[in-house]
Formats: sequence, C-alpha cells, structure tokens
Amino acid sequence: MTPWLRRQRALADYTLASLARRKGKNIALVAVYAIVVFVLASAMFFAASLRFETSAVLRDAPEVTVQKITMGRQDLIEGSVAEEIGKIRGVTSAKPRLWGYYYDRIVGANYTVMVPDDPEMIPEPGSVIVGEGIPRARGFKWSGAPLFLSRYEGDLKRFDVARAFESDSALMTSDLMLMNEADFRDFFEIPAGLYTDVVATVRNPNEVATIVEKGSNALPQMRFVTRSDIERTYQKLFDWREGLLAALAAAGILAFVIFAAEKASGLSAEEMREIGILKAVGWDTRDVIAMKLWEGGLVSLGAFLLGTVTAFAHVFFFGAPLFAPILKGWAVIYPDFALAPHVDGLELLTLALLTIVPYIAATLVPIWRVASGDPDAVMR
Amino acid sequence: MITLTSVTKLYNEGRPNEVQALKGIDLTIARDAITVLKGPSGSGKTTLLSIVACMARPTTGRVTLDGEVVSGLPERFLTELRRTTFGFVFQRFNLIRGLSVIENVMLPAAPLGGDHAKVRERALERLAALDLADKAQMPVEFLSGGETQRAAIARALINDAPIVIADEPTANLDTDLTMRFLEIVRALRAEGKTVIMTSHDPRIWDAEGVDAVVEMRDGAIFGEFA
Repeated sequence: MTPWLRRQRALADYTLASLARRKGKNIALVAVYAIVVFVLASAMFFAASLRFETSAVLRDAPEVTVQKITMGRQDLIEGSVAEEIGKIRGVTSAKPRLWGYYYDRIVGANYTVMVPDDPEMIPEPGSVIVGEGIPRARGFKWSGAPLFLSRYEGDLKRFDVARAFESDSALMTSDLMLMNEADFRDFFEIPAGLYTDVVATVRNPNEVATIVEKGSNALPQMRFVTRSDIERTYQKLFDWREGLLAALAAAGILAFVIFAAEKASGLSAEEMREIGILKAVGWDTRDVIAMKLWEGGLVSLGAFLLGTVTAFAHVFFFGAPLFAPILKGWAVIYPDFALAPHVDGLELLTLALLTIVPYIAATLVPIWRVASGDPDAVMR
Repeated sequence: MITLTSVTKLYNEGRPNEVQALKGIDLTIARDAITVLKGPSGSGKTTLLSIVACMARPTTGRVTLDGEVVSGLPERFLTELRRTTFGFVFQRFNLIRGLSVIENVMLPAAPLGGDHAKVRERALERLAALDLADKAQMPVEFLSGGETQRAAIARALINDAPIVIADEPTANLDTDLTMRFLEIVRALRAEGKTVIMTSHDPRIWDAEGVDAVVEMRDGAIFGEFA
C-alpha cells in the first residue's frame, strides 16, 4: 500500500470513528437525505421504465395511421382509402381497422374495443378476449363468467370471455376488449365498408415523411399520424407526470439544502475545537479537508445509495405503490403489471451529482475557513 | 538551540480589543534540557510556548530552530515541523472525546501515511510504557485525570518528536500525579528529548532535573535561572 493510500485509510478510519460518536445526529441526517433521493429516484426509475416499455411496444406499431377528418373531428373512414394508400410506392401494406371505446356504466370505466388483425386473436362470434383489467374491474370471481354490456338504458348484450391477456403486456392491454368484425359492427352499429382508421406499414422508415407527403396530396381530407408522433406524445405525457413528481421533490431538495447549509454554516464550538486539536497535533489544512471530504462523501454517498436502492425496490419489486396513481395516470382501471427494471445511467449520474456535490460543497467551505487559521487561533 | 529575537505578539491587531501578549522577547532555549516558563496567569507563557512550537506566528521578531529561521515559514512547513519536531501536551490535554485512547494517540500519525499496524504497535508500546496499555480501547472521557494526562503524553510521543511541549501539565493534578509526571519528564530527558513546559506550580520549577527556569511577567522576561 502506498503512503497516499495509507494516509487515506487513516483519515477514513478517523472519519468513521468520528461519525460513530454522533450516531443519532448522523443517522437523522442520512435519513432525511435518503428520503429526498428516494422520491427523486423513484420518479426517475418509474418514468424511465415506462418510457422504455412504451417505446418497446410502439416499435411494432405501424409507421403511419390515416384518419378521416370531418368538421375537425375524426370520422369513419371508407375501406377504399386503404387500397389507395397501398398504391403509394414504398407502402408494404395498408389495412383498415375497426376499434372504439365503450364506456361501462356499471364500473365507470372505459374499455378499448378492437377487431384484431391477427387471425389467431379473432374470437368466436359472441365471444370476446379481454385485458386483465376488465374482469378485475367487473369483480369476476370465476373464469367463464359471461360479460354483459349495456349500450343504453334497457339494452343488454351478452359476450362470453374466451380468455384474458397476460399481465406482461398490461400497460397496453389492461382495458382492451377484442371482438370479431361482425360482432363489432353489430355492437357499435357501424355500416359495412366503414372503418375507424387505416394503418400502413412502410418498407424504409426514412421514407415515412415522403409517403405522408404523397398521401396528404392524394387524400387531402385525411390526417396522417406517424409512429414517431405517437411516441412523442407518450414521452411528453410521461415526462409531464415525472415533472410533476420532480416538482414535489424539488421542494424536498430545497428543504434539504437549507438544512445542509444551516448545518454547514455554523460549525459548533466542539467541531472548531476538534479542528484546532487536529491542526495542533500536526494535521494541515489539506488533511482536515480530506477528512471532511471523507465524512461528506460517506454521508452523501451512503444516503444516495440507500435512497436509490430503496427506490429501486419500491418501483421494481413493489410496483411503486406510493407514486403509481400519479405516474400511471388517473383511471378506474390501473394496469396491473410488473415494470421491467430499466435504469437510465445518465439520469442516475445526474441525480448523484445533484445530491452529492452540493452537500459536500456546503459542508466544506466553513471547514476550510476554520481549518486555514493558525491552530493557536482556533483553540483560543 | 531555539532562539527568539525581539519577538512580539499582538492579538486582535488594529481593533479596539487589541492585546499585546509578548513585548520584545529575546530568549535562548537549550536542546537536550528541561526548560520551564513560569509566571502568573496572563504573563504570556502560553503565547510564548505557542510561538516556539510553531502553532502561532510572532507579530514581529524572529524565531530560529537549530539555526533555521522558522517564524516566516509558510503554513505547510510549519505543519511539517509540528508533525515531526514537536509533541504537545495541552493544559486541558485536548483529547478528542468519543474516540478511544489508542485512536487519540494515533491521531498525529494519520496524515503521515505510515503503516497502520506499525503505528498501532508503536502507540501500544507508548501506552504500555505509561501504564495505560489496558485502557487502550476505552473512550477517553472515562479516564481519570492522571490517565488522561498520560494518554496526552503518549499522543505527544507517537511521532517520536525530539521536542516535547507541555502547557501547564500539572494544573489539575494532585501531588502524587505531579511527581509521577515529573518522573516521566525525566525519563524523556534521559531518552535525549528536549522538554519545554509552562507552569506556575512551584513543584515543577523547583523539581530535580529542571535545567532552566524562565520567569515571565506582563509579556516580558523577568528573569532567567539555571
């Protein structure tokens, strides 16, 4: 071991012994500090993971969605539009879709009703495939319970639940209900030949802008929405929710900064005396500052690790019970799913720098002011 | 040899509460000797000792140590001298509460980056020589007055400093402990160390083995006795 390392070890030993002397005070400090980090890190982990998951889901989504706009609102679109879109060079396929929302007055929740594209997912006539949130919202006690839907007073339509989606995809499918086309048209009274929208896949993603331009020229009454538009909207939504929590945490950080500055600005007589003794027995200003760096480093790094690890467990093992209502959105049906752990390294580093550096800086300045005097002056 | 030439020390210089603690001190302190600075409270003994021990700088005048001028040295060099040349026993011993005896004794060695096991061994040897080996792990606030003083002496000796400085070392001790302290000082002297003490205790300046007594009053030297 080099003398430099041995010196650091001796300073760290002293720091640990010194911290152990004021156990109560230091534990309280670390606890307050860790709570602030915990709130921030929870919001960060949650939002990063949601963003990651949403991106992963949208990766398989079609590049372009075409909607018909009538009087500024979305209207049903003719199936022939899909054929016209399909003729544009670079479009590999264009298919009309049938989907809509159904408001379930019994539980006060909105379901997304869709006719699936995948033939394997098309249920038998009179049956539906549902997301895990629907049986949960309806309080189904046993599998095979029929689902009764009422569109208006006096109306009742029975569907059998063919199966429910697994929880893994719950973010996107929690409130989803799949029907076959005939049932859908009958349920929503949609005439044949009309659809909700048209989706197109494109061979080369770089050509999306050109295809949208060509389509817009050929079909000026249609609105073209690209996948990146949707992705951006989702990102903004999650960013906004994360921002809401970050604003709350900012208040916490402010309180903590005031607390740290208060602690740092007034060194107690005991601490000043201790620095005087250390200097008198041969420590120089750099040694005192190095020791205080160890102290600040151990306190802030300890609190940071504690806060971050607790936040990780809170979000990824327990499903973020404290912040989920804010971060997942306000709804009757909350998706019930486990987030895949995804940590954004850059965000974590930023959080570390924002919490560790100001604390160390706040505690170091007054120490330096006291430690740079003559030991004789410090002790008098 | 330690020499002081025309040394003055002002505290709170230029302020209404300015105090002149030392007034033109000229003094020579021999190495390999026991020197006692005596005088009443406020006579400037502790200030003079602080300047000799490089803990404070004189306002004017010059201090040399073995022919080298030390009074104008930058802080870094003064620290180096405090670390390697002087060992301190303070009036209130100034051990750090909450730390164990051995942790306190090892404190001056921490910035030197010496081998931890060897420093610890050296500390235990010093404590054993002062009959404190069995108290090494005890927090210092549980020590008696005499034990606290011996722990402070062990700390002063951990870096094997050739000059031991003690400020009013027997101020709070009874006669038995004072005699014990004097024995330790004579043993240090026999090891070849220089000891400089302040005291207004006649048991110290009349003690056997004391080579020189410097009497101070009102910041000036009133007399020197060999």
